[in-house]
Amino acid sequence: MLIDTNVNLGSWPFTFALNRSAAQLTKHLAASGVTHAIVSHFGAAFQPDPMPSNRELLAATKKSNALTALPVINLRLANWRDQLAECVAAKVSAIKLLPTYNNYSLRDKVVGEFMTALNETKLRLVINMRYEDERHRYFALDMKGLPLADLKPFLKRNPKTHMLLAGAMIPEVRELSAKFKNFSIELSYCEWINSVEDLVKLLTAKRIMLGTCTPLLSTRGEVDKLRFSKITPKAMEQISSTNAQQFFNL
Amino acid sequence: MRIIDVHTHPVFFTKGRQKSELRKLIAHGKSHGVERMIVLGDVLQYGGAPNAEQLRLINDETGGIQKMFPSYFVGFCYLNPNLGEKAVMEEVTRCVTNYGAKGIKLEIANNAAQPCMRHIAKACREFNIPVLQHSWSNSNFGPGMETHSDPDDTALFARRNPDVKIIMAHLVGVGYRGVIAAKGLDNLYVDISGAFPEDGLIEYAVEHLGADHVLYGTDIPIRQSAVKIGAVLGAKLTNADRQKIFFDNTAKLLNLN
Repeated sequence: MLIDTNVNLGSWPFTFALNRSAAQLTKHLAASGVTHAIVSHFGAAFQPDPMPSNRELLAATKKSNALTALPVINLRLANWRDQLAECVAAKVSAIKLLPTYNNYSLRDKVVGEFMTALNETKLRLVINMRYEDERHRYFALDMKGLPLADLKPFLKRNPKTHMLLAGAMIPEVRELSAKFKNFSIELSYCEWINSVEDLVKLLTAKRIMLGTCTPLLSTRGEVDKLRFSKITPKAMEQISSTNAQQFFNL
Repeated sequence: MRIIDVHTHPVFFTKGRQKSELRKLIAHGKSHGVERMIVLGDVLQYGGAPNAEQLRLINDETGGIQKMFPSYFVGFCYLNPNLGEKAVMEEVTRCVTNYGAKGIKLEIANNAAQPCMRHIAKACREFNIPVLQHSWSNSNFGPGMETHSDPDDTALFARRNPDVKIIMAHLVGVGYRGVIAAKGLDNLYVDISGAFPEDGLIEYAVEHLGADHVLYGTDIPIRQSAVKIGAVLGAKLTNADRQKIFFDNTAKLLNLN
């Protein structure tokens, strides 16, 4: 079983990434061996209100055994409590934040209020650090990665919340791992000659999940990063599926 | 499929130079089906503009690696065109004569559009070898990148020297704009090394440049063989095109069996 924790529906305006239907996405992922995916919608990054895209996502994944919806809450909007309530009502297992794309900082007061509200639910938290590498993204989208200067105090303020960081790069993981244990990562933006082996040493396999950032990155390339890593069968199973099953309550 | 990696740095900021480490790298490559690796040198060890002595040290290390494992590693001669024609020709002659260098590597000592590149073109002609130019889109960078080669700069160098074979490094770094800049230039090749594997870009390069002009490469140790190979295998290409990208194009370009 292979669970991909970083997959997206919708279109990305600055690449030729395919805008697949849920069925097409499932088929595409299966071609690389992915049996289940945690899916968000790009519309939440680009549209002024994430809920139309979240609803489209929920509808698209509702009848799927292979796709689990991961809706986005936009904390820059006054109605974030309504967004959260709608996600709770939809019985999702986790929600995602896009601080940079939605124009707020993890230092903002509203984030503290949100964490209090989140802790009253059983939802898990995913924080997106980037969708693209800022060194080769299209110039019209001048978006930097999530600043560690914002993330570090956030991790410190929320020691009991174990969150998943999506799109972290290896130097960032190294820096964060020196002080914090309340996060896991997915692999899409971690690359070095032996990235998985090195990350297992750094974090332990328990804190790593497969992620491909489909459709922006090559699904096959990202899956093979894990598939060909020289780690123990137990670590492989944890990263491939067990950790995601537990985190997303699959 | 047979694979040659046209873009590797076995020694990276002085790490990886021990024989045991090189053996590990060979085992790593072979476990992925990589038959040969092109060694480009520890190019930033002394900063972006090394002097003649520093170039000799880097190239001697590359040559030493090639001599240690001649059936696996193939060396390129790293140069700084700003040092002038005499220095360029002397160092290329030394690398080809002593080590059998199969190409020239350029990094960020100068921009590929600058006049000093004529020394490189001359060396390529004289020794019938290609040049691999680090290239990256400057769109996302501010001032201070004047010595870095944008794909437009590398393409201009290729246009000025149609008889010289040039490899524009880093497909994802040069992006769609780089592919368009390279289009129609028969002497210009693009390697897929470096950067995260942006989906669809390899297909775009094959569509616009032809599979004959796309080369497999990683930028090891910064990148991973499994990811780059997977990106080619996952791309919507024919197996014949994949074989060209993985092996045939580089073998032909460098006269490797």
